Amino acid sequence: MPEAPTLVADAIRFDAVGKTFPTRPVPLRAVESVSFTVRRGEFVAILGPSGCGKSTLLMMAAGLEVPSEGRLERGGVELVGPHRQTGVMFQDATLLPWLSVLDNVLFPATIRRIPRAKVLDQAMRLIGTVGLKGFEGARPHELSGGMRQRAAICRALVLDPDLILMDEPFSALDAITRDEMGDVLLDLWQHTQKSAIFVTHSIREAVLLADRVLVMSRRPATVAEELVVPFPRPRAPALADSAEFGAVVAHLRGVIARNMA
Amino acid sequence: MKAALTSALAVLAMLLGWEALVRGKAVSPDLLAPPSAVLEALLRHPDILLDQGLSTARETALGFLLACLFGAALGAALSSAALLRRVAMPWVLALQIVPKMALAPLFVVWLGVGAPCRLAFAVFIAFFPVLIGTTAGLAGTDSGALRLCRVLGAGWWQTVLRVRLPYAVPQLLAGMKTAATMALLGVVIGEFVTAQQGLGYVVMFAASLGETALVLAAITLLCGIGVALYGGVLLLELAFARWYGAPMPAGEFG
Repeated sequence: MPEAPTLVADAIRFDAVGKTFPTRPVPLRAVESVSFTVRRGEFVAILGPSGCGKSTLLMMAAGLEVPSEGRLERGGVELVGPHRQTGVMFQDATLLPWLSVLDNVLFPATIRRIPRAKVLDQAMRLIGTVGLKGFEGARPHELSGGMRQRAAICRALVLDPDLILMDEPFSALDAITRDEMGDVLLDLWQHTQKSAIFVTHSIREAVLLADRVLVMSRRPATVAEELVVPFPRPRAPALADSAEFGAVVAHLRGVIARNMA
Repeated sequence: MKAALTSALAVLAMLLGWEALVRGKAVSPDLLAPPSAVLEALLRHPDILLDQGLSTARETALGFLLACLFGAALGAALSSAALLRRVAMPWVLALQIVPKMALAPLFVVWLGVGAPCRLAFAVFIAFFPVLIGTTAGLAGTDSGALRLCRVLGAGWWQTVLRVRLPYAVPQLLAGMKTAATMALLGVVIGEFVTAQQGLGYVVMFAASLGETALVLAAITLLCGIGVALYGGVLLLELAFARWYGAPMPAGEFG
């Protein structure tokens, strides 16, 4: 079906994307005909149980995995590999142990051969925003898990990408730090127009951060239900304590339970 | 500081006890020369010992360097090519099972009794720990860091230089420490079988004359060479650890 021409291309578009891994003896069907769109500036959370194939979705969006079927478009153009304007965050911070926080944040610039001076201001600003001011020279092993993940956020954002992909970035953190990190992200997104896909199995995180939540089915992953989060921005972390927030969370929990049955 | 002093005193006490045993005729000086006689032997032929010592030191250092280069290059090649690994690894492992000293006379047949024979044998004995350190180090690169490189579109060389190599160096250094002692061993065995020069030759020659003091004097110098080389690698490790700035992943080999 020919699509209507849009003035602004979507950040990323999944069109009937499927993925099968050629495992033996039985091939593993990870993703089944997934279609959805992330518009410019939209924050989409992908919610699903562990091992449902949602990370595979994200790896395809990052250009690290190739879809077995269907088509992936990034800014209106077919995606064939890692995209320069995409920032990625993983479960682990994956900081290089011999680099300082600042050098880790600047690592994408090093790899792309962009002069330090060009991105230094941006790096320092981000480091300040996530609350790492004063730790620029520290090595990763001197930081707590939450601080490392803060540095990883800065690294994902330092080249000012227009799309950020996050693969359960806080799942390795304890509950309190995890909520804190959610607030850091929420704060960062108050003043940016970046698009984001945020894979998580935390309903609270999904509802607090996202404009739209996609609930995935069990493997092979497919979009079971879509929910537009009814809270306007800017949002405060206290939103999570409200009754309305609780109602949305409860609704989503019901959706997930129905899909798991 | 206090621990070092205790250790030094213990060594001194042992040397004095050894001296006393020989002087008290509990042990014949023909079987085991006392420390004073060893010192005297060192001072009696300083030019001969220094000459032979320099030869051994030179060949050990060169053998060690070649073993490091060869081991690291072969290790890197084996790490990067699965086919090569399948073809070469059984041979490399088989060579480790052969008692390598037994092959020393063959090296004489192939390379004659000169320095090339001793060097080749030193390299042959010492390259393996470097090879294993290199392959283990390169294989031990954090998989998340490699994924990060792919996301950022890093090239093959960038990935090697910026990520794989720094992750591999601690293991490589551990392999080099073992190689340092092996290289000296290789040169001494080479000196035994070529019987031309070097402290190993002095040991053989002096032992055949029953000059235990001279044997021990040469061995003392050999220890000095070993300590110097091993210390050099330790310094290298220290410098790297300082740059690394983080606890290094442990790398230990037999």
